[in-house]
Amino acid sequence: MVVDRLQQVFREIFADETLTISDTTTAADVPNWDSLVHINLVYAIENEFGIQIEDERLASFKNVGEMQAYIEERGGRG
Amino acid sequence: MPGELPPQDKWATVPADPRVPKQHQASDVGAVAPAADVSPKKELASITVTEISLRHCLDAARAHERSGDHATALRWVFTAIDAGDDLAGWTAAAQLARRCLAHVGPLPRSARIAVLGSYTTSQLAALLPVAAARTGVAVEVYECGYGQYQQEILDPNSELYRFAPDIVVLAVHAGEARLPAVSDDPEAEVAREVARWTSLWETVTARSGARVVQHTFAVPPEVALGHLSTRVRGCRAAMLAAVNAELGRAAADRVALVDCDRLAAEVGKRRWFDARYWNRAKQAVALDCVSILARHTAAVIGAQLGVSRKCLVLDLDNTLWGGVLGEEGLAGIALGDGPIGEAFTAFQEYVLELKSKGVILAVCSKNNEADVREVFETHPNMRIKLDDIAAFSASWDDKPAQLRAIAANLGIGLDSLVFVDDNPVERDVVRQLAAGVDVIEMPVDPHAYVRALASYPYFETVALTSEDAARTAQYKARADAAKAAASATSLDDFHRDLEMVATVVPLDDVTQPRVVQLIGKTNQFNLTGRRRGDADVAALRADPAATVLCLRLADKFADHGLVGVVIAIQRGAVLDIDTWLMSCRVIGRTLEDETAAVLVAEARRRGCTLVRGRYIPTAKNGLVAELYPRLGFVRADGADDPLSEAAGGPGEPGGSTWVLDVATAKAPPGLMRVLDSEGSTVEWQGAMT
Repeated sequence: MVVDRLQQVFREIFADETLTISDTTTAADVPNWDSLVHINLVYAIENEFGIQIEDERLASFKNVGEMQAYIEERGGRG
Repeated sequence: MPGELPPQDKWATVPADPRVPKQHQASDVGAVAPAADVSPKKELASITVTEISLRHCLDAARAHERSGDHATALRWVFTAIDAGDDLAGWTAAAQLARRCLAHVGPLPRSARIAVLGSYTTSQLAALLPVAAARTGVAVEVYECGYGQYQQEILDPNSELYRFAPDIVVLAVHAGEARLPAVSDDPEAEVAREVARWTSLWETVTARSGARVVQHTFAVPPEVALGHLSTRVRGCRAAMLAAVNAELGRAAADRVALVDCDRLAAEVGKRRWFDARYWNRAKQAVALDCVSILARHTAAVIGAQLGVSRKCLVLDLDNTLWGGVLGEEGLAGIALGDGPIGEAFTAFQEYVLELKSKGVILAVCSKNNEADVREVFETHPNMRIKLDDIAAFSASWDDKPAQLRAIAANLGIGLDSLVFVDDNPVERDVVRQLAAGVDVIEMPVDPHAYVRALASYPYFETVALTSEDAARTAQYKARADAAKAAASATSLDDFHRDLEMVATVVPLDDVTQPRVVQLIGKTNQFNLTGRRRGDADVAALRADPAATVLCLRLADKFADHGLVGVVIAIQRGAVLDIDTWLMSCRVIGRTLEDETAAVLVAEARRRGCTLVRGRYIPTAKNGLVAELYPRLGFVRADGADDPLSEAAGGPGEPGGSTWVLDVATAKAPPGLMRVLDSEGSTVEWQGAMT
């Protein structure tokens, strides 16, 4: 499941094993989601799913749900 | 000659390995037993790791953390980061390690590390603590502002100097080198750029005393000149390579290089530099390579601080040769002839290269000793000979027990050993029951053995010295001598039988590198743990108040080389011992007693009436806690002691001060000859009256 793997990546990158994400999660909901962590997160997601996210799309995600939909649409490595 | 070779398809595919019990098969999912089942005791298999991968090992680490066993959790974190390079996994590992470290005892070393970068080094700074802890160094990291490395070094009032670093890491990338695309005068360009860096090194060293760890430039593979660049010394790629080479030549004792160009080539330069992340966030090292950079930077720092691994312990069957000797016989093992045999020969040759740089070799095998010795002695394709092996253990004892015996025999700790075994069950047992031993996760395919061993970074050494090259011979002599001790009637007889000769040699250009190396890496017999560097030692040579005793030791088995160093400073009528250490390979030979006698003679020569020393406990020097009282020194802590904290001295925590009255000093045991540098015998002239 994309959402489970996405959650694992979030937990590792934020180093918080209790972190729970949902479709509506945004950067404002997660402590320490600064620009550095954001880069790490994008990188880890690309790595986990074997995809490259275009810069324009990267800037357009409003929440985790949109990012998840994008990964599924791209047929991220399963 | 060996007879029938095993069928070549024996290793051709990688099926479920029949030697591997079920819990080791990678396909067996469900990495960790429920936390409730976990026993905090260090017993086998209470937490099962199905596969040595970053995530599985982290799961095991978390399970041990939940059970309250932080030491074991930490070991699984280290196994995890050995197993993978993934940024997310490393980020989680770094956090887990931080939590576990708060619950376990101190690591062998600690250091304050400043990361000065020319690109975004936040990830490197975040991963360095776990990578350094892996090598035995607890670190506090300071990261300078983005690209501020030069300002921080040049401004004497910068945060860098307020931080008081022990190590300064210059994490710089190829784009930072001030070299044009093409130059008419490449020599001058290269010299200018090299001078820029060496002058930064000198400024750091002069202002902070810190050691410098410099990353070399990863030369980009995009070369507009194409193959013509090989003929044009003025092209940027050629100049970058020249700068790397010149920096290597210029690096002195307090500067070490991390060869990023090689690391980048090893993982692939297309992977090392990811233009998207450079443009997005000025990441000059791709984020899945930062872990590799952290690992190797930590290995080099560990070597600087003297915590490199010393001894490679090798299994035999299916590790040094193909097949099981007990089943296939001398003629049936695969070695030398045929593709699989060639793989094992290549592996042996690589092992010998490690030996020649100073790594001690040992054998740990479950076999009949006579049978395996016969292979070493008679198999025509054996590259490794019995003489190459400092400690040979072949028996039916379990491997953790054999490893402890090997360590004891060589006089080193389990945390100096690196274990190589093709059998995952043995690796697992050693991981669990011989804590401290590093276990290399060997591939199933012997063709990949060399690469697996070469990828292990913790045999890093500071310098190649003749002592390094001869070290196996010396440890072997020590092990032989240890066997002889078992048969000698008394310890004194044993010592006399060794026909030991100690020689006091001067500190000069020849001995200084070895003296600095010994000061840097001696842990057990080290009274103060003070790490005097090359510049400090050079200064002592010019100081008339300072005496630096360098002692060599030889016996009938081996010349152990320069193994003892004492730095003493005269303060009026007192000769103060600043540093006293001895290589662990000559511990227990009475050399310390003879050294004390030489020191007393030196005190008398200087007209001193007291010799004074300090013992400062560290994680590893418990061995010498009682040295001073044993030698007749008496406790003399107090405010009149200029070394004490009260008197403004170093005041090292837990330290004690000891004095020896030159007039009443005891005669040494006299179980060895002591010569001065002219070859004359140094006689004990009795107490001064």
